[in-house]
Amino acid sequence: METNGIERRLRISGLLIVTGLCFGLLTLLWTHPLAFVAFAVFACPLVLFGVVLYLYSLLPSDTSK
Amino acid sequence: MSAPVVVLGALICICILLAALVALRVELTRVRGGKILAFLAFFILPTLAIWAEFSRQVDHAETTQFCLSCHVMADYGRSLYVDDPSYIPAAHFQNNQVPRDHACYTCHTDYTMFGPVRSKLRGLRHLYIQYLGTVPKPEDIKLYTPYNNRECLHCHQGARTYEEATEHHKIPDMLAQVKSGKLSCISAKCHDTVHDIPDLKGATFWKPAS
Repeated sequence: METNGIERRLRISGLLIVTGLCFGLLTLLWTHPLAFVAFAVFACPLVLFGVVLYLYSLLPSDTSK
Repeated sequence: MSAPVVVLGALICICILLAALVALRVELTRVRGGKILAFLAFFILPTLAIWAEFSRQVDHAETTQFCLSCHVMADYGRSLYVDDPSYIPAAHFQNNQVPRDHACYTCHTDYTMFGPVRSKLRGLRHLYIQYLGTVPKPEDIKLYTPYNNRECLHCHQGARTYEEATEHHKIPDMLAQVKSGKLSCISAKCHDTVHDIPDLKGATFWKPAS
């Protein structure tokens, strides 16, 4: 069960990171003033949440003590 | 497409592939090698890619092409090609006294500790006005504060052509007055022809050899 919980969080964090990076790739190729806004509003937070969720999933939970 | 963009694009693609691999085959993380791969794909590489793209986006926001991409700034871009050396921005642009690809930013950022940050925040405000606000007419656009001599002296201070020019010694202590801001470079009937958007209609324009 615990492994499944960690794996579920890893999967969600991976999806967030992939989605954020896809936005990042689009804004990299889009030479428009709004590209910076799209990067700051979508790509950065998605990747940040994904990374934080990944780091959180590494923390030992109470049940593993 | 420039080389840094290609490299950054490749880095992001690699990140996407690795993160997707680990997310879809999450059981890989049960072994030591998979844990290392997940650490790379979920932490090291995305952090690196986002930091690199942020840096690239900030650099891109300083380019002349970026500043002129809003329609309201088109006349300011045209004013850089006026065939008249009394137009200060045009003279600087055409004689490579400012880098042509960063012409706006070179003169319109404050050379202070937080000047670049202030410029970026103002840029965000300009974006808001462009898309959600009321865009002013080009000739109605004004500086937030009177142009500071500091921005001119950032390059000209100490230059022989500046220090020894006869016109810069017309009155006693002229250079000191300019340095202290008591005498403005661009509004003291000396270098007061700047972009002059209303007069562009009758101007002739320089065509650079391609």
